[in-house]
Amino acid sequence: MNSDEALYARVKRGDMRAFDELYARYASRLFGFLRPQLPTRADAEDVFHESLLATLESVEVTFHRGSFRTWLYRIARNRVLNRQRSHGRGQTALARLAPLEETPAGPDERLARGELLRALDGAVARLPSPLSEVYHLRSSGLSYDEMALVLGIPLGTLKSRMNQMVNVLRQELEPWTAR
Amino acid sequence: MDCTLIQGALIGYHFATLSDDDRGDVETHLVACTACLRTYLAFKAHVDRDGSGAPSGEVPGETARLRLRGAVEARFRPTPARVLGRWFATPVPLYQGVAVAAAVVLAFVLGPAVARAIHPAPPAHALERVDSARSAAESLTIY
Repeated sequence: MNSDEALYARVKRGDMRAFDELYARYASRLFGFLRPQLPTRADAEDVFHESLLATLESVEVTFHRGSFRTWLYRIARNRVLNRQRSHGRGQTALARLAPLEETPAGPDERLARGELLRALDGAVARLPSPLSEVYHLRSSGLSYDEMALVLGIPLGTLKSRMNQMVNVLRQELEPWTAR
Repeated sequence: MDCTLIQGALIGYHFATLSDDDRGDVETHLVACTACLRTYLAFKAHVDRDGSGAPSGEVPGETARLRLRGAVEARFRPTPARVLGRWFATPVPLYQGVAVAAAVVLAFVLGPAVARAIHPAPPAHALERVDSARSAAESLTIY
């Protein structure tokens, strides 16, 4: 299998088959990272377009300072932040959902997986931005080292945010997991 | 650990923030409890986008994909200028650069001498004999 970096080099020489392969590799992962953080699908498509093109065009991308994936997510993250700043922090589509009310059901229902996962989606949508970022980056498959590079923070700070994120989600999901 | 505690720990287990002891407790329970294992697997599939796309399976639309592809193709299509620029931008080992420069200098310095050796100019006195012979011939012409 061709590495991301090998495909990147071939795309820059005009090889569109390499672009198609690179696109297929990141279409769902990167879009999955972007979509929850942006209000509309069109915004996510625009940022996806800008991010991939900017990564290919940037003269700063060198792979001794990070993998292609790291660069792509770093640029994508910056584009998301720029768009959020220009449009106001706003709310993602999920965050517009009202918080789920704890059902007055018994323990068996609380443990129903579908409710738990829906509750998780709502809790994630309500995460503050720094914690939401680590959730989505981790969910996109980035390692801790890659996440630290993308966010531009020390590994210790990243681990601290991960712990905070887990604690917030755990508290939010307690009604669905408590005794 | 009972199931309710395990359910609460699944997030920390998935994101690897549990202590070693707690992780071990979760794993021991998951091996023994199929219900909690199914819950964890569903949770993991829901959260983990690596290779599985957004939770709803979303990807950019076909129009967006074609627009991006067109932009990339236009930006990186090989043109003579880009090919030449890449050639000049290709780093060359120092010894190769010195060898090429030396070859160019030698070509300029030795080139004329080599050309003369290959195609020597006729000797000057040969031209004089032709001229002398012509004068003699003309002098013998009876008009």
